[in-house]
Amino acid sequence: MIWHSLRRNRLGMLGLVLLGGIVLMAVFANWLAPYDPSKLTGQPFESPSAAHWLGTNDIGQDIFSELIYGARVSLLIGVLAAAIAIVIGTTVGLLAGYRQGPLGAGLMRLVDVVLVIPFLPLMVLLAAYLGQSIWNLVIVIGLLIWARPARVIRSQVLSLTERDYVLASRVVGAKDNRILVRAILPGVLSLALAQFVLAASGTILLEASLSFLGLGDPTQKSWGTILFYAQARNAFLTGAWLWWVLPTGLMITLTVVGFALIGFAMEEALNPRLKASRAIAVSSKPAPKKQSNPGRATDTAPSEPLTSTVRTTPSSGRVDKIGAE
Amino acid sequence: MTGFFVGKLGQYALVLWVAVTLNFFLPRMMPGNPLALLAGEEVNLLTPEQRQEMMARVGLDQPLPVQYVNYLVNIVRGDFGYSYQKNKPITTILLDRLPWTLLLTGTSLLISTVLGVTLGALAAWKRGGRRDVSLLGGFIFLESLPAFWVGMLLVALFAVQWQIFPTYGAMTPWATMAPDERLVDILRHLALPLTTLTIVSISGTFLVARYSMLAVLGDEYINVARAKGLKERTILFRHALRNALLPIATVFTLNLAFAVGGATVVETVFSYPGVGRLTYEAVLNRDYPVLQASFLMITIVVVAANIVADMLYPLLDPRVRAGQARTSGGG
Repeated sequence: MIWHSLRRNRLGMLGLVLLGGIVLMAVFANWLAPYDPSKLTGQPFESPSAAHWLGTNDIGQDIFSELIYGARVSLLIGVLAAAIAIVIGTTVGLLAGYRQGPLGAGLMRLVDVVLVIPFLPLMVLLAAYLGQSIWNLVIVIGLLIWARPARVIRSQVLSLTERDYVLASRVVGAKDNRILVRAILPGVLSLALAQFVLAASGTILLEASLSFLGLGDPTQKSWGTILFYAQARNAFLTGAWLWWVLPTGLMITLTVVGFALIGFAMEEALNPRLKASRAIAVSSKPAPKKQSNPGRATDTAPSEPLTSTVRTTPSSGRVDKIGAE
Repeated sequence: MTGFFVGKLGQYALVLWVAVTLNFFLPRMMPGNPLALLAGEEVNLLTPEQRQEMMARVGLDQPLPVQYVNYLVNIVRGDFGYSYQKNKPITTILLDRLPWTLLLTGTSLLISTVLGVTLGALAAWKRGGRRDVSLLGGFIFLESLPAFWVGMLLVALFAVQWQIFPTYGAMTPWATMAPDERLVDILRHLALPLTTLTIVSISGTFLVARYSMLAVLGDEYINVARAKGLKERTILFRHALRNALLPIATVFTLNLAFAVGGATVVETVFSYPGVGRLTYEAVLNRDYPVLQASFLMITIVVVAANIVADMLYPLLDPRVRAGQARTSGGG
């Protein structure tokens, strides 16, 4: 049993190591990079050499330095966009799950609409209108990917609403807003964190795609922007793909994998639907006894595992939980 | 039954309305001259009279509500506007491009669904087992690959280095070929973009298939089947999969939006003449009307595919036939 959970954690640990390395690279970029990536430090299209480990790009900038500084731009956009998405998603999920009247129904309608709209073409359209800047990318990405997290949060809220401690706080006369903030919000926070990590793996990829399509900021190159220039200059038709295209895409992949592995490890531990169905493969830990003292109920909410005693089936036939991106 | 569809159709109508309305307001609300956004920067070189005439042609000389109604009417008629950069009606451009995108995304979705569902079911059988962990890890990796990067590597290796497949396009231009040769030619051009798109979109299906199989495998009847000593394959694919199909079908439609996005960058890498490549060209040339129309076109295709999938649900799952009323709530 322990062996099984260790294996699952091992993927999560791998993610932490990967991401840790990349974050360090971004933080210490000015120490690690041999050149200022915006300066012309060589001839155009140089092959790798002792002076330029990954050669130079089409105008003679050092690709290795671009790669290191690119970590800053890519991580910044990805993390901020994911943060925006999770703040919106959590708010919508909380309201939609807790207020089941017209407000809740309306919000879920909105979620459904956002889920159907093909997000990448819309992002491209909006980013093209707004102009090339990293802030525009943050906004455009963040505003269009909150719907899936919102759904996940809502299912969690729906199950929390029926818990004893929530009912208890209602019985003692707590107001709706108080219940929402003091009793339910703490119960979804760790799930929201897992969703944030998963969303970040998606936003890093989306940023790369948008920048690759020519919507990135040319003065602050992300990895996607580096590849946009590689594509525009046909680097993959020459030998240059080996040092220009390959390492850059690898950095994107490793970052996305890092976020995804951590997010998955968190989600597997938190998702009530999975936990309940695990009886065959892994017997789950006994659920801790819930607090029945209404006076203290709200205080214990955050520490209580989300997963212990949750109804497993949503009432409709659709999946509320769509897994990762 | 009808309630279900009315609810769904209402939702799709809403999606289309949102897309059209966004398209209408974007150029008119953005800072800058809407005429320049719709007809190109060259309008700044025109004389006032010419510009006035241009305003009238684009329809910008009328009050906003009238413009809006005209815009809606035109869209319904299938008139998506005019690209002054390409000097063609956009509808014509789109109809040239759409078949290629449908071919690419359609085939890719089909392959990734069949493969993803099979592997997802196999992984779910022993949760946490060696097969499950390696498949899960493998698919998390695949999902993390940037589509355009995979495409660039495939071109560099299979088209440039080893010259097995063509480097760009959907078919050899200016060549006269017999129909069967032409078919082979098209398939050869399709191979690399298809592989790329499938690699990056398969894991969505895999993950959901795995999740929903996990949920189903906990049910009593599966234990009964196990107790009867049925083979793994029989339990998985004859008993469990059938009940896990509905969530998978839902995800199929959600993946559509994803695949379409992937197609945009994949088509760009391979210069594949679909709507996605058109989007890229429009970004580079700041051809906003084309950009808008591409977005609208893709939305229409996605909505249409959703409607088809909704009509297929009841065939997939008898529970939907019995309990349509419950699903109509939109939750």
